[in-house]
Amino acid sequence: MKYLIRFITRNAAGGAEHTDKIIDAPAITIGRATDQVLHLKDRRARLQHARIEQAGDGVQISSSALTGVIVNGRSQRASRLTVGDVVEVGSNVIRVIDTADGVDFAISFELSGDASADHFVTDWSEPVSGIGGWSKRRLSWALVIAVAVFALALPFYVGETFLQAGPIHSAHSPTASECDACHINAFERVPDSACEACHTVDRHVVRSMTPVLGDIRCASCHLEHNEPQQLVNQHQALCGDCHADTPPDALLASAGDFLQNHPEFSVADEQSNLIFDHAVHLNEAGIVTPGGRRVIECSECHLPEPGGAKMLPISMDEHCADCHTLAFDPDDPSRTVPHGDPETVMQSLVEYYSARLLGADPDAVEQRVRRPGQQLSRADRDRAAAEARVKALEVAEDLFERRACANCHTVESLDGNAEVPWSVQPVQLADTFFDNAFFSHAAHDTDVTRCDGCHGATTSEFAQDLLIPDLESCRDCHGSGYARRNNASQIPSTCVMCHSFHFEAKGPRE
Amino acid sequence: MHESILAFRKRRYLWLALVVSLAAIVAYLIDDPQEPPNGGTVLGYTLGTIGALLILWLTWFGVRKRRYSSTRGTVQGWLSAHVYLGLALLLISLLHAGFQLGWNVHTLAFALMMLVIASGLWGVFVYTKYPGRVSKVRDGSSRPELMDQLEDLDRRSQRIADGMGDDYEELVASGAARTQLGNTLWKRLRGRDLSQVVLHENGQTSVVPNPGQEAALDWLADRQSRATDADSLAQIGELSALLRNKRQLLRQISKDLQLQASMEIWLYFHVPLTAALLAALAAHILTVFLYW
Repeated sequence: MKYLIRFITRNAAGGAEHTDKIIDAPAITIGRATDQVLHLKDRRARLQHARIEQAGDGVQISSSALTGVIVNGRSQRASRLTVGDVVEVGSNVIRVIDTADGVDFAISFELSGDASADHFVTDWSEPVSGIGGWSKRRLSWALVIAVAVFALALPFYVGETFLQAGPIHSAHSPTASECDACHINAFERVPDSACEACHTVDRHVVRSMTPVLGDIRCASCHLEHNEPQQLVNQHQALCGDCHADTPPDALLASAGDFLQNHPEFSVADEQSNLIFDHAVHLNEAGIVTPGGRRVIECSECHLPEPGGAKMLPISMDEHCADCHTLAFDPDDPSRTVPHGDPETVMQSLVEYYSARLLGADPDAVEQRVRRPGQQLSRADRDRAAAEARVKALEVAEDLFERRACANCHTVESLDGNAEVPWSVQPVQLADTFFDNAFFSHAAHDTDVTRCDGCHGATTSEFAQDLLIPDLESCRDCHGSGYARRNNASQIPSTCVMCHSFHFEAKGPRE
Repeated sequence: MHESILAFRKRRYLWLALVVSLAAIVAYLIDDPQEPPNGGTVLGYTLGTIGALLILWLTWFGVRKRRYSSTRGTVQGWLSAHVYLGLALLLISLLHAGFQLGWNVHTLAFALMMLVIASGLWGVFVYTKYPGRVSKVRDGSSRPELMDQLEDLDRRSQRIADGMGDDYEELVASGAARTQLGNTLWKRLRGRDLSQVVLHENGQTSVVPNPGQEAALDWLADRQSRATDADSLAQIGELSALLRNKRQLLRQISKDLQLQASMEIWLYFHVPLTAALLAALAAHILTVFLYW
C-alpha cells in the first residue's frame, strides 16, 4: 500500500513548510524506536506505539500501548480513519488528509518535541536510599559498634570464655573461667611458670639433660583449646625427630617408627624360682582335679587387677590349693600344713604329732603308761616331744623334698643339724616386664584377642620361659605412627602409645 | 558484546579461585602438624594471613568501584575476581580453623563472613537475573517514560473530567495526586499499591484507599448505572477505560520498582555485614594474640 506522509516543519520565522514522502509499505508504524516510519521523540510514546494500516476496505489505526491513541479527542485502542480525523500520540498530532493521486492514504505529521508540562507529584518513583532512614554507612557503623561491644567489651564483664578459641580440657576445668591463671601476660605465650603453679616439675623433663629441646615450653606440646581435646602430644615426630637416628654409642638405640625402626624388646628371663609347667596345666584333654578331669582356663588363675592394666598376683590358696593340697598324713587326709615359710610348716607338724602323743588318741604313748590323775613326769614329756619331732622331721622330709613343696618350689636341703633343715627359694614373679613402656591388658581385651594369641603358654614347660610376645607379634596390630605406612589391620601407633615422653628424674645421665 | 561478570575473560578468576582452593586443600592434606589442625599451626597462620588479606582486598572493591579514573583493571574484572575469590575465602577460612567452630568470638567472625558471602551470592543472583526481568517488565520504556505515560493517562483523564462536574474533577485530580506505589525500599519490595482517591458521595467527601484504581472504578460504575444521557455514558466509559489502563500501567511500574528494590536491598546487608566482619576479624586477631 502506498502512503503519503506530509512532514510539516517550521522555518525560522515560525512559518509552516512541508515535505511529502511517499512510502510503499504494509503499514505506517508510529513510535519512539528509530525504525518506525513516524519516529516520535515523546517519552509518552512506546517504542512501537501504534500502526496505521489497511483493514477491510478502509484504513484503521491501532495501538497496543496502554495509553492508546486519541482520535478526535477520544481515547481509543483502535479506530477507523477518514479524512479530517485528528490523531494524538502524546503531544504529536497526526491528521488524515485528502488522498493525492497515486497513493492510497495520506497523513500530515508535525514532529513535536518532548513537551512536558508541570508534573504531577510522583515522589514515590524517585530513587530512594536507606532503610528506615538508615544509610549503608550508618548501618555499618552501628554493626561495627555492636560487634566491638559484643565481642570485645562485654566478655570482660560477663566472662572471657567467649574469647576462647576452643573448649578447655576437663582436666583444667577448675581454672576454666580464669584466663589469667595461664595467660599471665597479655600478648605473651603461656609461660612454664603458669603450669608449675599446679604441676610439680620434678617428674618432668630436665632441661639440663636435654639441651636439644631448646626453649620449648610446656604449652608447645600440651596445647589447650583444641579439638579433638588432647593435652598430650601424640605425634610421631614428638620423639621421632630426635630418636630416629641416634649415634651407635647412645644410651638408647634408634627408634623412629614402631613399624620400621624400633629395637627388639630387651626383657630378662623370668627368675621366679618356681617350677611350673603351663603346657601340662593347659592340656587340651584336661587334667585330673578333685572335681574330676577338666580343662583349665587361663582366667582361672590370671585375673586382671581393678583398672585392668596388670594382672593380680597368683596366690597358692586361691589358685593352686584346690589340687595341690598340703595333706601329710594318709590317715587324716583333710589335715594340711599351712602354705608359708618352712619354720611354720615344721612347727605345725611338731604340734600335730605332739598332740597325737600327748592327747586323747588311744594309741598315744602317754595314755598307756599313766594312771588316772597322775601327771606326766618331765622325762615322759621330753620323750614324747622328741618322738613328735622325729615323726615331724620324717613327714617334713617327705613334704619338702618329694611330695608337696618340691613340686613347685626350688627347695634346698640345709645342714641336718638345723632346726628346719630346708630352705625354699623366694618366689619372684615379675610385676611388669618393661621398665620404660606401659602396657594395659584392658586396652587389649577385644572380641578377637585371646590369651594364647600373644602368650605361648600352651607349649611352655618351664617357669623360666618368657611368655612375653615379641616385637613382630605386636606389629600384627600396631603399625607405624604414620598411618600411610600401615596395612589394613594395623592401627597407627606412635611412640607415646607405649612410652612416656617425661621420665622419672633419675639424676643426670653421664 | 556484553560479557557477564561470571564469564569475564573466559572465567579466568574462577580458575584462579579454583587453583587457590586446590592449593589450600592439598597443603591441608599434606600438612601433618603435631597438634590437631588449627589456626595456630604454621599452615594455620599462613592460611589465616591469606584469608585476612583476602578480606581486606575484597573490601577494597567498594573503594575501587568508585575510583572512576583508576586504570588498575576494569571494574568488571574486579567484580568477577571479587565474586570468585570471595567464594574461595569460605574454604580457606575453614581450612585455617581446621574445621573447629564454637560459640566464640572467632566463630563470630566466621559466621559474619558466611553472611557476607551469602548476601554476596544473593547479589550475584539478583544482578544476573533481574536486569533481564526489568527489561521484560519495562517492555522497551525507561522508568521516566513509564512515568510520562502515566502522566499522559492522568492528563487525558483530566481533559475528559473537565466540565463533568466538581466530583469528577476531584476524582481524577486526587486520584492522580494520590497515586502512591511506595517511597521506601521495603514498600517497593512488597509491591503494594498504596494509592488513594477522594470520593464525593451523598454530599460527603472521603479519602479512601484506591489500590488498582478499584475505588475510583467502582465509583464510576455506580455513576454509570445512574447516568441517563448518552454523552455522560460515553464520557464515563472513556474515563473508566483510561483508569483501567492506568491500573495496568501501575502494575508494570510497581513490578519495576520491586525488581529495582531487590537489586538494591541486598547491598544493605552485604556492606554493613562486611563492616561488622572487619570489626569481628580485628577482634579475632586481637584476641588470638592477647591470649597467645
